Amino acid sequence: MEIYLLDNLDLLQQHLLIQHQLYQVIEDDNGQCSWQQQTKEGNAPLIAKLPQSSAKDFFFAEHENLLIFNGEYFQETLPKPAPFVLFGALSCDLTAISYQDKFFKDDPYYQARRQHCLLVGLDCVRPCQQGFCPTVDAGPGVREQSADIILHPLENQQWLVITTSDKGSEAVKGLALSVAHWHLLTQRDLVLHQCEQDFPDNTYITQAIDKLNSGEIKDSFWQQLAVQCLGCSGCTTLCPTCSCYSTRSITVESEQKKVIKQQRFWDSCLYEGFQREASFHNPSSDAGKRVQRFWHHKFGNEFFTEFNRHGCVGCGRCEQTCPGVIGIHSVMKRINSDA
Amino acid sequence: MLNHTPDAIELVDYIDDGEKARHYQFRLRNITSQATTYDWQSAQPGQFFMLNVPSIGEAAFTFTEPPNEQGEFRALIRQMGKLTHTLFTLPKGEILGARGPFGHGWPLEEIIGKNIIIIAGGCGLAPLVNLINGLIDNLADDQRVVLVYGAQSKRAQLLSPERERWQAHIKIYNTLNEIKDQYTLAENESQGTPLDIIDTAMSAFTKPPATALLCGPEIMMYRAAKQLVNKGMTNDAIFLAIERRMHCAVGLCGHCYLHEHYVCKKGPTFSWQELQSLV
Amino acid sequence: MCADLVKTICPFCGVGCGMCLKINEQGQLLSVEPQQNHPISQGKLCEKGWSTPYAINTNERITQPLKRINKKFYPISWQEALTTIACELTSIIDESGSQTVGIISSARASNEDNYAAQKFARAVLKTNNIDHCARICHSPTVAGLKQSLGSGAMTNSAKDIFDTDLILVFGADPTENHSILGGHIMQAHAQGTELIVVDPRVTRLAKLTSMHLQLKLGSNIALINALLHVIIKEQWFDKNFISSRTQGFEQLALHVKDITPESVESITGVSAELIRTTARAYSQAKRAMIFYGMGITQYVSGTNNVISLANLALSCGHIGKVGTGVNPLRGQNNVQGACDMGCLPNVFPGYQGVAELESQEKFSNAWGAKIAQQPGLTSLGMTKAAQSGDFHALLLFGEDPVVTDPDQNHVKSSLKNLDLLVVAELTMTETAKLADIILPAASFAEKDGTFTNCERRVQKVNQALAPRGEAKGDWQWLQALAKQMGSQLLNWQNSEEVFNEMASLTPDYQAMTYQKISDNSGLQWPCTFDAPEGTSILHQQSFPIGRARFICVNHVDIDEPIDDLFPLLLTTNRLHFHYGCGSMTRKSPLLERETPPGLLFINPIDAQALDITHQAPVSIKSRRGYVETRAMLSDDVPVGLVAMPYHFKEAPSNQLTNTAQDPVTKMPELKACAVAVTPLAKGQPPKTIQQLQGEQ
Repeated sequence: MEIYLLDNLDLLQQHLLIQHQLYQVIEDDNGQCSWQQQTKEGNAPLIAKLPQSSAKDFFFAEHENLLIFNGEYFQETLPKPAPFVLFGALSCDLTAISYQDKFFKDDPYYQARRQHCLLVGLDCVRPCQQGFCPTVDAGPGVREQSADIILHPLENQQWLVITTSDKGSEAVKGLALSVAHWHLLTQRDLVLHQCEQDFPDNTYITQAIDKLNSGEIKDSFWQQLAVQCLGCSGCTTLCPTCSCYSTRSITVESEQKKVIKQQRFWDSCLYEGFQREASFHNPSSDAGKRVQRFWHHKFGNEFFTEFNRHGCVGCGRCEQTCPGVIGIHSVMKRINSDA
Repeated sequence: MLNHTPDAIELVDYIDDGEKARHYQFRLRNITSQATTYDWQSAQPGQFFMLNVPSIGEAAFTFTEPPNEQGEFRALIRQMGKLTHTLFTLPKGEILGARGPFGHGWPLEEIIGKNIIIIAGGCGLAPLVNLINGLIDNLADDQRVVLVYGAQSKRAQLLSPERERWQAHIKIYNTLNEIKDQYTLAENESQGTPLDIIDTAMSAFTKPPATALLCGPEIMMYRAAKQLVNKGMTNDAIFLAIERRMHCAVGLCGHCYLHEHYVCKKGPTFSWQELQSLV
Repeated sequence: MCADLVKTICPFCGVGCGMCLKINEQGQLLSVEPQQNHPISQGKLCEKGWSTPYAINTNERITQPLKRINKKFYPISWQEALTTIACELTSIIDESGSQTVGIISSARASNEDNYAAQKFARAVLKTNNIDHCARICHSPTVAGLKQSLGSGAMTNSAKDIFDTDLILVFGADPTENHSILGGHIMQAHAQGTELIVVDPRVTRLAKLTSMHLQLKLGSNIALINALLHVIIKEQWFDKNFISSRTQGFEQLALHVKDITPESVESITGVSAELIRTTARAYSQAKRAMIFYGMGITQYVSGTNNVISLANLALSCGHIGKVGTGVNPLRGQNNVQGACDMGCLPNVFPGYQGVAELESQEKFSNAWGAKIAQQPGLTSLGMTKAAQSGDFHALLLFGEDPVVTDPDQNHVKSSLKNLDLLVVAELTMTETAKLADIILPAASFAEKDGTFTNCERRVQKVNQALAPRGEAKGDWQWLQALAKQMGSQLLNWQNSEEVFNEMASLTPDYQAMTYQKISDNSGLQWPCTFDAPEGTSILHQQSFPIGRARFICVNHVDIDEPIDDLFPLLLTTNRLHFHYGCGSMTRKSPLLERETPPGLLFINPIDAQALDITHQAPVSIKSRRGYVETRAMLSDDVPVGLVAMPYHFKEAPSNQLTNTAQDPVTKMPELKACAVAVTPLAKGQPPKTIQQLQGEQ
């Protein structure tokens, strides 16, 4: 790990742009935040705001052609992305990328993209509206193992640049950076600690997680909750760790030839048809069971053991996007009060 | 890295079997663009493969005969949804795709040389064919194998030639859910479901079975497992093959979840001990 | 990876949620995400909204004009298509007159498209034969509320849901059909707002409240009259409001004097006690809001049902204030706009009467053209006239009446009887299959324009993609066709010019511009020089007709009761996964997976009596038709009632539905008809209507 001090962030952006495509979160007039590509010509200021869509699409594409069939044989169609950098990813989303790195460890399509990506994390120094990353050990400060470079804003418009991997050190080579004193790391810890203190009291989430794992919650509770699940797929689409997908064949016919593509696309375990078999047998036909599975997948001990952390990174996107008002905060409160 | 790309196979032949079901024969083609990454020869009884019908997609089936050295293998396929419906319209010689073998099959160490009770319902007999063939080839002198096979009706019964051949080596009880008025039951037939005949089947053993293998509709399997436990078998001696919708077969797509497990990786065969807490 | 993010409005229901389209470097639509700070949807989308890319990106898009020769379609050039259509139209008009041609425009298309369509009809074709699907959803709303209140639109705004004490949902299933608004209702209810649901089926909202009035089909008026009876008898009405803002209360009081809750128990199936509790809750709430849908309008008594609801709100003074009102939930993204634009045979844009000389002069002068004066035909009027040989050419876009209109066989044979049917569509539909010429239409993502949502909010739709293939926006091809026919009346340079012309002639849109609409995240009409910021609540000071009117209405039985031959009542419903004829939502592999192609909801008790199991194939027969589908056993429908969604071309409920009409608006009684249900042989999949009718 190396620590540097940087006066002008633009220098780092320009340096990274030499060898990478650079993506950054941009906020528009209506407050919509999204990942957008930046060019050498002008860089938007770096903001610590949660984009509506997480970064998972960069690696696990929403729609992706896996292979083609030409009538004789099948051919893998791996993506070949140019090197790119996610500049200023927040800790919750970075934690989710680490989570998916593990899950998709052996998936060639995911890895083809992931290996070409440099992750530059940005510390959050203020709580966001729906977030609760400290409760699930996913922020607000960027975890060392989840990024290649960490940026930390200092009071005097300066930035602390911390390289945490070989890839990160390599990426800043050639850039005139001054080495920072280690005491700035202590200062960073203090700021992050203060930020954690500023989060609202989220103990109800911890309590609900315990209750969820106690086996005490009745099926009827989940069924009652599931009346409010419209099966819209909003939560699973925006959740940065959700990874379920389906596949389908698409036939592309031109005058000369016929090619069949096999595409994978994001799916949602909350759809009634997710597990239904051709025989109509459906082990999860009960909406309550599906809703229960979703929350167990995020907070169940069995999954914690496997991934060494919760499947939830505390971004709060599901709370905002659920039309049925059964996102994370609402559900955790109801587990405490009604279950 | 995992491979999601199927090997090309040829639809060699098929014979009709039972109602809206066919026994298909396929052969691996060696003209794939890359060397195959699948170890087809390693297929074990109870493992499955993903059949790719190019214009439709993929679905999981078990081998009734695993790939031999010529790359030929067989599978029993019932016409059920869109994929099988299309498959049934395809002529011999058609090029399809296959990936596999996948999953955990039957626990051979608990089976070889031991007394076994096998309970199968409907299409659930398919994943057992390969195993029963192997058992018969290597049947020990004092080894007793009993098969209870339930079908909806006489017409719906599958794998008649196979069952005929097995008859000489193992005890078979056939149950039929519906029988026509004028039909006279044969000696090894009875009306009802496998659940009705388990007690009788158990009494055919002089030394109780060491292992039970179950495959069929889930409710039937669970009830059968409970019955066997009541008969004194232990939870870890009963094995069930579970069916789930599958897309990837490698534990990624999420469709075949059973609590924290994916049936494609952890299963499709589970011991009743493991499964009880999951269902 | 996403290169551009274009803000636009969801193309599905009338809620009008804010959506962003993610476009890649090649200019293709990758996916969508909700607009985080949209005034209505606030970062949410429903299952239909999320699945938009599948509908737009599908391989099945029509990309060039097609001409039908016998049963096959052949690609032709735009020029050939336009020449053919123009020649045919001209010769038909010359021979048989303008009253034999017409247009059915689309509640899916933009205001600009709809404005152009009615102008084309009135000023180029010289006919008032212009209509759209509002005929079969909310024409009774327009007619009923116009009589009672003077304006046929939602009186309040979506945001009022969070600013009210009681929500009364009447014959509407908002969580399925207007999911985001339904979600708002769930949220408000969870936060303490009282919720009363009146519906023959146990809807999702009904499951969340203890106050569910499970009335019998078509007994709305009896129920409401009894509610009024209680309110008047107990003196729970709003005296001040009635005396200062309304007329006709005394007659109403007299009218409902003997309609006691007990007297309607058998008609409605609702207990007198529950009627009293409801009357008390609604009238005594400080602020109470009514939402209603097709369960009110799709009856022979549709217009009177709407009037009845207005009576109820007026009697309690629950109108003209925050958190109150009579609020129709409009089904389509722009059905409000299509009505506002005058795509109705009896009104010009802004509901200015076609029969009024003053309006005729206004539009004739503004357009610099002679315009049609004869009254026009409704959509059902046009199909009827086609059947009898009195109507020869129809231009139709963005609708699939073969699937969505009542009595499918009648619609089909009428359309086949036309000399010229032109359909502009995204993908092949059952209606397009009958067309002589199909024109490739641009999708909402491929055009600029505006949609008006159910709360009268005019919102900007922004082009994100180039039109697929040779596809054109609707006003653009109408313009090309007008030119071909020698008319320069539609010669706008861009959508904004269409909008500005429309706004100058439509009083309620008077003060709107594209810039202002974008700056304000939409503007709610009336947006006039007096109210330049728009109006979120109608009727605050006065009604457009001065005093609102209490109008006495009587219960009318449904047209086709059950009998021995057809012992079950069939009602129609919608599934939240699908939209309309399914031509867009069914392109999503995810939504398509959710249900079999066609289904019938049936109570387990009825099912058992008929020996029908879950997912089993069944046949359904009415006096008009026969379909096969799969049974879904569900306690959500009461014994004696079966329900069928109308999204599926394979098993169209409109083979069965009744054509009996509301006398005022010609709204067909889609919500009730008598049917017989029988199980099919096990293992035999249901045949599609195409197979049954030998069309394969």
